[in-house]
Formats: sequence, C-alpha cells, structure tokens
Amino acid sequence: MSRDLVTIKGGKDGFRLLVDSSASMEEIEAEIKKKLNENPGFFPEGTKFELEVADLDRSVKKGIGQILSQHGLGVEMSAKKEPPPAPAEKSQMPPQYVIQHGGNVEAQEMTVVEHTVRGGEEITSQGSVLIMGNINPGAQIIAGGSIDVRGTCRGMVHAGAWGDTSAVVIADRLMPTQIRIANMIARSPDIMEKSDFAERASIKDGQIIIEPIER
Amino acid sequence: MSEVIVVTSGKGGVGKSTTTANLGVGLAMRGKKVVLIDTDTGLRNLDLLLGLENRIMYDLIDVVDGRVEIKKALVRHKKYENLQLLPTSQVKDKSAVNPADLMALCDELRKEYDFVIIDCPAGIEQGFQTAIAGADTAIVVTMPEVSAVRDADKIIGELGRSEKDNIKLIINRIRPAMVDSGEMMDMDDINDILAIKCIGQVPDDIKVVTSANRGEPVVGDGDSQAGKAYENIVGRLLGEDIPFMEFEKEGFFKKLMKAFKLSKD
Ligand SMILES: Nc1ncnc2c1ncn2[C@@H]1O[C@H](COP(=O)(O)OP(=O)(O)OP(=O)(O)O)[C@@H](O)[C@H]1O
Ligand SMILES: [Mg+2]
Repeated sequence: MSRDLVTIKGGKDGFRLLVDSSASMEEIEAEIKKKLNENPGFFPEGTKFELEVADLDRSVKKGIGQILSQHGLGVEMSAKKEPPPAPAEKSQMPPQYVIQHGGNVEAQEMTVVEHTVRGGEEITSQGSVLIMGNINPGAQIIAGGSIDVRGTCRGMVHAGAWGDTSAVVIADRLMPTQIRIANMIARSPDIMEKSDFAERASIKDGQIIIEPIER
Repeated sequence: MSEVIVVTSGKGGVGKSTTTANLGVGLAMRGKKVVLIDTDTGLRNLDLLLGLENRIMYDLIDVVDGRVEIKKALVRHKKYENLQLLPTSQVKDKSAVNPADLMALCDELRKEYDFVIIDCPAGIEQGFQTAIAGADTAIVVTMPEVSAVRDADKIIGELGRSEKDNIKLIINRIRPAMVDSGEMMDMDDINDILAIKCIGQVPDDIKVVTSANRGEPVVGDGDSQAGKAYENIVGRLLGEDIPFMEFEKEGFFKKLMKAFKLSKD
C-alpha cells in the first residue's frame, strides 16, 4: 500500500489530521475531499480536526482550513508531531486508532459479533458492539460507543474510544485485563475473581466504576 | 471412512509430536491402517519417537517434488505393519512444501488409510498453513499454562478462519498435585476459555520421555498413566464414550495418612 498523503486518526481527544508535507496543495485538497466524501455524515458538522503543523507550509495550512470549513468542519493547529509517548504499561496499544475507511462506517451503527473473539483478534467499530460469545484473553474490542458482552469478557475492551464518556461496558461476567472508557483506563486486580452476575462499567465522578446489574 | 487429522498447538514443545506418535501407534494397535506425516521440515523428529530414523530412504520433499512415489517414501513401523511414516527432510526448510502439495497428498493417502495424522510445526506461519490444508479434523494440544492456552486460543481462531471447524482439544502434561494446590490452571478453566471439545487429559509422566528415547511410544503401557490416557484418546477417536480418568495424585502412604486423620475427627 502506498503511503497516504492525508491520514485521519481518531484519538482520545478527537480527530487528528496528518498531512504529508511533501504533497502539493492540489493533491492534499483532492485527498481530503475524497476522504470526507467516502463517509458522508460520519464527521458531524462542527467537528474540529487537530492539524499537525510542525513541517507544513503556511499557505497549505490555510488551504486546509478553507477546505474543511467548506464542509462545515473546523481545524485546530497543533505543534506536536506525534501524541506524547504512552506510559510503558499501555505501550502495547497506543491510545489512538486509524479509522478504517471502507463501507460500513456510519455513526451510531451497531456491530454484532456472533462468535467468541479469540486471542489475537481485534474488532473495531465506530458505533457500539454486541458480542454474542466470550472475549478471550489477548483479544481486543474497540468501539466508538458501548460494548455489550453476552458471555465472559477476559480481553481488553475500550468503549467510547473516540471520546464518548457516556459509553459503558456490560458483560455477563466482567473480568477483563483492562477496561478503557473514553480516555480513562482501569486495569484488573492482579488476582481476578470470578463474578457470578452481570456487571456494568461506566464513568462516574471522573473514574471508571463497576456495578452489578440485572438482565 | 477415512479421516485426516492435523495435530497442532501454536506454542512449541507442548507435545504435538508425542501425541502424533502415540495416537498413530495406538490406532495401529487397534487394527487401523494409519499413516503419519511429519511436516516439521528442518526439525523432523517423529521418526526418532517411533525409532525409525535408520530406515528412512526418501522424504516428503522427494514426494512433492515428484522424485519418488509416495509408496516408496513411506517407512513401515517395526512392530505394526499397518502403521507407516512419511518423514520429512532434515535439511530443507518449510517453503519446500506448499498447502496445495499437502492437500493432494492427503487426498491420495486417504484412499488407502483409515487415518492420516499430520504432525504440524510450531507457530502460525507458512508451515502451519501447509500442515492444516488437507485436514478434516484438527487436534489442538495445549498445556495447563497461561501462555500455552493463549496460543491454543489463537490457533483455534486461525483454524476457524481457514474454515476448519472440527477442532478437538488435548491437554497435556497435567500435574494433578499442582492443579489441586492452585498452582496450575485447572481443566475447567481451560475448557471455559477454549470452548472446544476436549478428547484427552494426559498427565506429566516421565515414562513419556523414557519411552520416546527408546523409540517406543508409551501408549499401551499399562503401568503408565500417560499410556492409559493416550489409549483413551484413541478410543474416543474411534467413537467410544470413555470417561476421563482420575489421576493418582498422592502416594499410597499419603492417602493412608489422610484416611487415618479423617477417622480421627
Ligand atoms: N505427558 C508428558 N509427560 C512428560 N513429558 C512429556 C509429555 N508430553 C511431552 N513430553 C516431553 O516434552 C517435550 C516436547 O514434546 P514434543 O516434542 O512432543 O513437543 P512438540 O509440540 O512436538 O514440540 P515442537 O513444537 O518442537 O515440535 C519432549 O521432550 C517430550 O518427551
Ligand atoms: Mg514436534
């Protein structure tokens, strides 16, 4: 695959726009328009993109701002090139995910997975995710919305991965290695207890809390 | 009906070759026509476990390259003439055989044999893809260890993606005393995670090693717990309903002590 001139990344603080500084303004414009048209409606009006400007020409920056505003979108300049390095603990997986452009990306969509997600598998969805099976250790679910597991959750789950702090994680048996909601991380106790009832993890008063629920 | 079975694991050294050799001999003892294929090219050792190294003339690579016919490359077992081994090369590497080669080979062999059992190399690379290509059934071997179970899980996912849906589990090298004391994962935990049909629980048994060194798989050795466990797996492969055995965890003396203590209070 050739390197993209323009890459849009969803991070915990919103979207970041990465632009190849060697590309011409025309190429950049064409590429941004293409990306936006691929997923009409995916970026709601008023969405602000963080633009990495370290090595971009001033005229290019201005041009990008104009293109985005034509689409009702905004831009914020940022001096940093890459997000700050993740703490060692989470180095396995940086807190940002490339948005997969292709077909089924619509906001609020629900992905239903009808099998157990095994170690090494990863499921990414812009919307919420319903798993009709287990999430095994070493598996990873990343959802823009909430995650509901009709089984045992032992893997890594990240709900509200693009900043939605109202997202929740629900599982029949909730014993994941890590739960992330928006930009918060809770890791499992080192000795895991088997839970006998369904539980829900959500953000309350600035931290992730887990409580039993009826279902 | 003949069956092509691949024995695989993900993690290395958990007992794939040992399992292949024992199931091969065990099925042959029950009168089945069996051929074992070593696909661990470059690291072959199934011939050693069967005590057949000195009889090898040709190998898998000679067959897929068309230098010899399959029949000529098969090595017959010393004791069971209905058991044959197709060894692989010690000097070539895994790229010498591809999935299509193995599929064609399995289809050829299934005409004549009741069981074709393929010993798979460790890992999930090309050698794995080749080994599983022609199989109807996969046996995943794991150990009661977090990392081995993690790899088994990955392999099961991989098999599913290759549309191999008939997958069975063997848990090898169990140490009952450690399971009891909570130092080793217990069978329920493993089955809970892997969620595929378990057809064997084999204890850790020094006799597996000593018999392998002699080139005589332990299956059928009535004095060995592992030997009995392999015999049971053979029965289950033949469709028999055999309950899992209870392992002897403690010596006679310790048991007596316990009984004594129990009666006292
Ligand atoms: N049940 C058992 N009890 C004791 N030792 C065992 C048992 N099963 C296997 N072993 C020993 O473990 C070692 C590895 O076994 P084996 O070669 O069968 O594994 P493998 O999965 O084929 O390895 P590789 O990935 O290298 O091909 C050998 O030394 C074998 O004798
Ligand atoms: Mg081996």
